[in-house]
Amino acid sequence: MRVGRVDDVTAFELAAVLDAAIDREPTSMVLELGELVFMGAAGLVVIANAERRLATSGVALTIQSPSTLVNHLLGIVEEARVERALPGSGHLGPEQLDGVEVVSQRFGSSLSTRDLRRVAGMPTDPDVVDGALGLVVELALASIGDADGVSVSLLRHGVLSTVAASDQTIMAMDSDQYATSEGPCVDASLRGHWFHAESLDTETRWPAFTPRARALGIKAILSSPLRAFDQPVGALNIYSRTASSFEIEDQQAAAAFAEKASVILSDAHIDVGDRQMAVRFQEALRSREVLSLAKGIIMERQGIDEEDAFSSLLRHSLRQGTTLRARAEAVLLSVRRSERGPEGDAP
Amino acid sequence: MISPGTEAPDVLDSYRQEAGLSHSELWLRYFEMGGMSTGFELEAYLSGALLPSPYDRDVIAHALNERFSELGVDHPVRYRTELER
Repeated sequence: MRVGRVDDVTAFELAAVLDAAIDREPTSMVLELGELVFMGAAGLVVIANAERRLATSGVALTIQSPSTLVNHLLGIVEEARVERALPGSGHLGPEQLDGVEVVSQRFGSSLSTRDLRRVAGMPTDPDVVDGALGLVVELALASIGDADGVSVSLLRHGVLSTVAASDQTIMAMDSDQYATSEGPCVDASLRGHWFHAESLDTETRWPAFTPRARALGIKAILSSPLRAFDQPVGALNIYSRTASSFEIEDQQAAAAFAEKASVILSDAHIDVGDRQMAVRFQEALRSREVLSLAKGIIMERQGIDEEDAFSSLLRHSLRQGTTLRARAEAVLLSVRRSERGPEGDAP
Repeated sequence: MISPGTEAPDVLDSYRQEAGLSHSELWLRYFEMGGMSTGFELEAYLSGALLPSPYDRDVIAHALNERFSELGVDHPVRYRTELER
């Protein structure tokens, strides 16, 4: 099946073609996305729906050559189990399906979509990343019950701004937080953990921002942090006009969306500030150094080579259920101890 | 259980996706643990285009497994058999 653009309009056609193909009870189905230039949220929902329909009869939908971005987004749809009005079948006559080539191939049914996905390229263009985050916003809005607005705030060159928002009120809501330097979105973006304002009527944490939000009719806010290279870089903000509207499942869904958006940002590199990257890299370098010293000590003690010294460290950390770095630090500590007394802690 | 080497070539990449790690973040973790291959080579190992050395395979497995234990999952990625004993 070849498709050029899947937007809100062509998603209907795609749904009709897929439905017709599924009705013929295929043993397998392949969707070739190599020539896809645009994929909207509606298209993702159609594909996820087809995948689910096929799965009920034990048939795998194979998606070939999706871009990294489409791949991430399909993952989001799968996990969030988006439930919203799907473009149905039967609206279109066969004449509208002209030019759509249905490719049906026989594959072993044990292969799943997940197994067969291939990463084709890395998104690097900021517009592409913003577009992807826009889709995350759209999908979060569609799948989180009682969400009246969703936005993504991102730190770029040390400045927090909204890169995707479901409407102007939400845009204003975020701007009010940047202007007052407070609010759940600012805190989640800078401090890297989530903030939940269950009811703004009783909220006391953000005295300058809260009255502004109440004036715009917002009652509850849930901000989940976005991270790239383990550093906070922004937040996914969900707003509701109903107090206490975010249930546990909504909070989990928000975390899942934030996680996916974080992966998009990490893959794109461009959104990670130089400072944040430097901090993360410095940490990595320090760990590598500790490990390297520990390997040297083990090599000297046991007369083995570097790879065997690594295996020895790994075996010990697995047995003791500690991280490799913690194990390496213990080895370094044992040297200091054995300098003081006879009892050394052999790795 | 499947032993490393007989599994589908892209099994490491599906673990990476399951762990919610980008290619770059996995490379950084691999580098942290003493990995010497470039990010490009690491991607080739993940997709099955290049075969990692047994040592590299263990470093990648462990970088993934430490991420899985952060997520509360007991190390699902296999190491070379002698390490598992």
